[in-house]
Amino acid sequence: MKKVALNGLLISLALVLSFLERFIPLGLIVPIPGIKLGLANIVTMFALFYMGFHSALIITLLRCTLAALLFGGMSSLLFSLAGALLALLAMALLKVGYNKMFTLLGISIGGAALHNTGQILVASLMMRNTAVFAYLPILLLAAVFTGLLTATISSNLFHVLDKTSVVNQMR
Amino acid sequence: MRLKPKPGDYLILVFVIAAALMMMILTYQQETTRKIAVIVQDGEIIKRIDLNEIDKPLVIAYEGEYPGIIEAENGRIRFLEADCPDKVCVRTGWISRNGQIAVCLPDNIMIKIEGSETPTDNDTDIILR
Repeated sequence: MKKVALNGLLISLALVLSFLERFIPLGLIVPIPGIKLGLANIVTMFALFYMGFHSALIITLLRCTLAALLFGGMSSLLFSLAGALLALLAMALLKVGYNKMFTLLGISIGGAALHNTGQILVASLMMRNTAVFAYLPILLLAAVFTGLLTATISSNLFHVLDKTSVVNQMR
Repeated sequence: MRLKPKPGDYLILVFVIAAALMMMILTYQQETTRKIAVIVQDGEIIKRIDLNEIDKPLVIAYEGEYPGIIEAENGRIRFLEADCPDKVCVRTGWISRNGQIAVCLPDNIMIKIEGSETPTDNDTDIILR
């Protein structure tokens, strides 16, 4: 029962982050449609590391669906689902080598890169045109920066949370 | 916080940056003499413009959910105005190189620049008699 409550809490937190980052005009610096920081990925990473893949999947699916219903629109649902699910899959795979091969840095950058690749795939399918792939190299470089940002925030967050009893009770 | 990268982190970083650079080089290498701007809306080509043939600015209005205006000059093209909410298409600015694109996602319209060695009205490579 506690897990259900925490899932709900995390979904709403991810939703708030998705909503807030709409007001960060990253498109001013990098003029690519729909470019964003990916702050909601912090929540996905928390779920993946502290609650398991199952929770992370549910949170991602519901966050994307609710965000599309509330402020995105239906075409954005396809975009965000393709990106978010590919990113989650990539991060879940990279997590196998966590602390041995990778830290949150690599996992987060890998996730962001796959996220952007997924979005370009959907965009090219929707526009029935492969020319949007011209954006991919810029989006991959952007993924390095956004991945670094979310990794830094997440690692600080995890560091603090590990010290509290909240997380220990949960596991 | 002290987030010490591990070897795998560098591997991912190098891989992502290398992939991006390779794609960029591949795109910009195909520099051809003729630049053809192609305007695609909802997956269909609505106009082709030979950017080398333009002497004075050309203005193209397009319809759709959020109508707008595309401006073409010798060698370059851009979204001049658009009624779309995000205006990313207008902020993209001029595009002038082969493989470059400008996209207005809300209106599903895109300008891309394609190279061509021959003028647009002549698609025949060779005539055998």
